[in-house]
Amino acid sequence: MNTPIDDGNNNLRYAEYVLGVLDADTRAAVAHEIETTDEAATAVALWQRRLMPLADQITEVAPAPYVWARIHDALQLDAPARVQPSRKGLWENLQLWHWLGIGASVVAAALLVVVSLPHLAPSPAVVSAGYMASTIQQDNGVTGWTATMDLQHARMVVVPATPVAFAQGHAPELWLIPAGQKPIAVGMIARDKPTTLTLDPTLLAQLGPTAALAVSVEPLGGSPTGQPTGAVIAKGAISGAPDAGDHTSKVASLYDRHAGHTSA
Amino acid sequence: MSVASPADRDELNSLLIQTGRNDQKAFAELYKRTSSKLFGVCLRMLHDRGEAEEVLQETYSTVWRRASTFNPAKASAITWLITLSRNKAIDRLRQHREEQLGDPSRLNEIVDEQPTPAADAEASQEYRRLQLCLDELEPQQRDSVREAFFTGATYNELATRCMVPLGTMKSWIRRSLMQLRTCLDQ
Repeated sequence: MNTPIDDGNNNLRYAEYVLGVLDADTRAAVAHEIETTDEAATAVALWQRRLMPLADQITEVAPAPYVWARIHDALQLDAPARVQPSRKGLWENLQLWHWLGIGASVVAAALLVVVSLPHLAPSPAVVSAGYMASTIQQDNGVTGWTATMDLQHARMVVVPATPVAFAQGHAPELWLIPAGQKPIAVGMIARDKPTTLTLDPTLLAQLGPTAALAVSVEPLGGSPTGQPTGAVIAKGAISGAPDAGDHTSKVASLYDRHAGHTSA
Repeated sequence: MSVASPADRDELNSLLIQTGRNDQKAFAELYKRTSSKLFGVCLRMLHDRGEAEEVLQETYSTVWRRASTFNPAKASAITWLITLSRNKAIDRLRQHREEQLGDPSRLNEIVDEQPTPAADAEASQEYRRLQLCLDELEPQQRDSVREAFFTGATYNELATRCMVPLGTMKSWIRRSLMQLRTCLDQ
């Protein structure tokens, strides 16, 4: 078939490249030309200007928040702390948990390090965005628990800072309270050791700086009504990642010292 | 994100230029204002959320590293960004081209991306000009160009989907491209 092509094949190739119809090899060849010759670069830029307005009609779709968190982490923006490569058994290391327990203010941040360890690539990884933390304090100002929320993996780790005494048959239950709304049950937590909880999408959607966490005294099996039935003994606001980034570096260096101490 | 007005366009240009100077705030703002569009582009081509997320991440990582090479005299920021995301999505498609060719569910999957009247009213001047030129093409050829642009399909894939010989598809597209150029460059 005759086609009214009044132009060199080259220009056509650049148009085809921009439209996206070339196979992998031809695309690679054109991409190389663009890198190496001004003529190709200019021709391709002209075709982009001509054709790219078609994208106006593509429906916008907001990406999930963790995509930005991943980009932020991958590019090491804000120079967040580097985490030491994973060491086996850290999660079970009671000595570490005890040590962490002595400094309640840094526990939540420490968890940023610990929570992320199972997902670490072999190379040192970075922890920053994608996490939220809360210090859950008793009325007397003493920290009862600290909670760290890993948004990407939809889980929360709650660590007791100061073990609280409970009457026989009673245990702490954790609640999420979105601003101006009823508490949502998160789950039963241990009074003397870390608890990992899975966050369902409803909970995940409510996490944010306007929500709070609270702990109430409930029967061992949890509140029978779906709402707190016993006294609320501790509360805490939820804070986002920027604050956590700061703590992380502090804890990472503390952790180094701790690790050095135990091996000495 | 709206890039229909020249003011929006200028703002995005300046955000991208600042990003090229390692300004993290500008980069975050640029992401906020353009990621939904770019994610739409990736999703439209890849049909898979996870893959589209990966390509979006690759795209913005490249934006961060290469923003300093952006030249507003050559292209607007949004053109530069969409081009980058399309290129990465097309590369990804080519990596598993064989799987896609072997998947009969993708045949005849011509998705109609005809703009709605409302969308048309909000469209940029550039888009309206392009649409006028596209309207001058034969319907089949116009559809082939749109399908190629939105799905990133190769000539071979397009020919299969439209059930025409490869040579016919090539000549439809090539003729359309030359006609578009003549129309747009007037």
